[in-house]
Amino acid sequence: MNTIAWVGRKVGGALVVLWLVASAIFIAIRLIPGDPAEAIMGGPGSQASAQALAAARAEYALDQPIITQYFLYLGKLLTFDFGTSYSLKQPVTQVMGEVLPNTLWLSLMALLIAWLLALCFSALAMRAGRIGTFVGNLLEIIAAAVPHFWLGAVLIMLFSSALGWLPAVDNGTGRGLVLPILTLALPLAGFLTQLMRDSLTEAMSSQFALAARARGESRLKLFWRHGLRHAALPALSLTGWAFSSLLSGAVVVEAIFARPGLGRSLLSAVLARDIPMVTGIALFSALVYIVVMAISEGIERMINPAGDPR
Amino acid sequence: MPKGADLTNSLRRAKVGMVIPLAHRGKSLLMQRNSRSSRIVAGAFALPLIGALLASCSSTGTTESSAQSQTPVTGGTMVYASGDAEPSCLDPHVGGNYPQALVASQFLESLFTKDSEGKIIPWLAEKTEVSKDGLTRTITLRDGIKFTDGTKLTAEAIKKNIEHLKDPNTASSTGYLAVGKVVKVEATDELTATLKLSTPDNALLESLSMPWTAIESPKALERDQATNCTAPVGTGPFKVKSWEHQKAVNLVRNDDYVAPVADENRSSTTSYLDGITWRFIPEAATRYAALQSGEVDVIDNAQPDTIASATDTGLGHLDAPRPGSTNRIELNSSNAPFDDQKVREAFIRAVDVNTGVNSLFFGTAKRSYSLLSSVEPLGYSDEALFGTDTAKANALLDEAGWSERDAQGYRTKNGKRLSLRFPVSTNQSVPAEQSLFEQFQAQAKAVGFEVKIDLLDLSSWYGALAKHEYNLVSAPYTKVGPSVLRVLYHSDSTVPAPSGYFANNAQVKNKKLDQLLVQAEETEDDAQRASLYEQAQKIVLEGYYVLPLYDQQNHFLYGKNVHGIGATTAVSSPIYFDTFLDQ
Repeated sequence: MNTIAWVGRKVGGALVVLWLVASAIFIAIRLIPGDPAEAIMGGPGSQASAQALAAARAEYALDQPIITQYFLYLGKLLTFDFGTSYSLKQPVTQVMGEVLPNTLWLSLMALLIAWLLALCFSALAMRAGRIGTFVGNLLEIIAAAVPHFWLGAVLIMLFSSALGWLPAVDNGTGRGLVLPILTLALPLAGFLTQLMRDSLTEAMSSQFALAARARGESRLKLFWRHGLRHAALPALSLTGWAFSSLLSGAVVVEAIFARPGLGRSLLSAVLARDIPMVTGIALFSALVYIVVMAISEGIERMINPAGDPR
Repeated sequence: MPKGADLTNSLRRAKVGMVIPLAHRGKSLLMQRNSRSSRIVAGAFALPLIGALLASCSSTGTTESSAQSQTPVTGGTMVYASGDAEPSCLDPHVGGNYPQALVASQFLESLFTKDSEGKIIPWLAEKTEVSKDGLTRTITLRDGIKFTDGTKLTAEAIKKNIEHLKDPNTASSTGYLAVGKVVKVEATDELTATLKLSTPDNALLESLSMPWTAIESPKALERDQATNCTAPVGTGPFKVKSWEHQKAVNLVRNDDYVAPVADENRSSTTSYLDGITWRFIPEAATRYAALQSGEVDVIDNAQPDTIASATDTGLGHLDAPRPGSTNRIELNSSNAPFDDQKVREAFIRAVDVNTGVNSLFFGTAKRSYSLLSSVEPLGYSDEALFGTDTAKANALLDEAGWSERDAQGYRTKNGKRLSLRFPVSTNQSVPAEQSLFEQFQAQAKAVGFEVKIDLLDLSSWYGALAKHEYNLVSAPYTKVGPSVLRVLYHSDSTVPAPSGYFANNAQVKNKKLDQLLVQAEETEDDAQRASLYEQAQKIVLEGYYVLPLYDQQNHFLYGKNVHGIGATTAVSSPIYFDTFLDQ
């Protein structure tokens, strides 16, 4: 398949997925009990008068038939209008724009660190003996399995409360980024290492590796020139998935470390039943997921043009 | 307002007394109460602090701190970490919850406040009078006070502020209720405002002591709401410099501050601090770690276990129970099985509150036997009604006809199990309180009650109450003064607002009680007021509609480098005017 056709398919598929996601969000939100007008007027327990509630419903078109609301909603999405946040009374895109760089930066740094850790550990694993392999395996499994909230709390207790090396909350010096990044990166690193080590072991014991060794190439060179390329492929194709898992991890990490970001906005929007905000962030996350998946597939095509990524 | 009213956050806090007594600011504190609006989180429990500052005040706030009197030093920015959700608006007129009150207490001031004995005293107001018929109240303002935008404080400001609270577009809940009886405000002259009331209201001054009715610059109120929410303009010791959403509200010293009541012993007329960085750190463990490592100077919503360990390590502690109601469990008397007083008493006799409170709150919360907070001078308490007595509980249930038991050991009547629904808001009940409720569940089971605890987010919790899907509920209410009793127990409060909300969760409908509560609010005579409120409280307590637990907890912890903490507003939200840091 040529590249242009491939891109066309990707874009078309992405649009369909976005439409499905948008519709699913629309339906899910209507199934939540409670009156959205109440959320607009300050939430449950408010003393809003019947008139004020009616006015809020009219302002947000909540008094229209559901099908009209659906098309109004889709129409606005086409113009990237996510509406106005119920609780903050600001356009959703503006709120997201303010906090997005924080979350992107955090996620990208975590992804980078996770990759570096995974590469180092995979390389080390090549040299490890049986006990080393066992210990490495165990550590990977533990790292991949720990939940973010637990890891975050433990890192704070250890490095902040007990040792006093690192701040628990970001004080603007950048040192405050270390613990949140590690909290996100460690589980991902454990996961990536497992993947890479398996394929690395396979690659290093394959015929071409034996042939290269026979030619006199060092193990290190072999690792960098051949092994890594094979090992990285499966990990790379999972990076799209990994990145979106970082976004969901950010909800937890941003709350624990009190960092501004998309995850924290989502959490407070959910608690406040701020429908436009929740919708905006959910759609945006879907978009990010689609874009990142497409990019990682593209990179895969470049590394391994022979393989047919459909 | 109900505590939880705002959705997003809420916590509750108690208050400390505020009052800075006029005469000795800096030394005393006060207390106050308010209730409606806050939500409460359950905060903490209290231990008292004792600071030099508070030494003289007894009631509400107590601080304990290592630093005793020291010479104040000017300078430095204090970092405050709140466990509450970040308010969506910094103007406490909008909505009106406790997190808003906490921050707004630094830059807005009220017409009245409370002294260390819990008495209402003028603050921005200089004096006030009420007409014979109780329907006209005049308030005279102090001269020479300016808002931080340069506007002078005049009677016009009172008019504009009360109109702002009553304007439906403001969407005020707490402040709106507080000024509900004010029909009209006229600026009689530059400094005198005349308030026309629909009925006499002896709680009006208490209502006007709460941050939810604080006075803002009329000029600033003319801005659109979104702008005013970002930086409300008041007369307080600090002003809002900027608000970086999800990060911090940056407050700076008001260099032109004129304390309405000056403290002659004070070396500076403005705050010692250059400013306050007001952060939001929702996770309790992170907040405490940040305090321990010195990244932040003061934290709120301190939890019982943390308070115990903090005071051991020399950190300061301020215990400022909130005014208004206590934290208590209300028994829904509008449907079975609690429509029978015997069954209500049986439940109350079946549980052992004291043992649970002592073990789960590490001595930070004191058991209450009252509907009202310990900072409310008119609170009535009757310990004898609430002794644990399982034999009596069993006997009462037998008498009430719940005499059969099913296979699981629960009592039944006509084939129906004695089952209670208990929706618990995770916003309003801290983990220690949730554990306490679980203990009650086990204890009630022993006499044959099935208690179904349902942990809910705030919106779902309000939804369950609105649909009457509860037999037990804990819903504290913050408001200054005993008039909170009318909000909580008058039969009018069983009628839901358009949002479905009602405050009388116990569903007490008693004509005599209604009369007492209305009369108590209208009388001119202090002694009669006290007596009417006492009779009213007896009716509720003796009818076993409520199981009092403890004050609404409101605990703050602060670093060893922080001094001069203790003064609070009428709703026990601390004011950091007297606070200074080691340099």
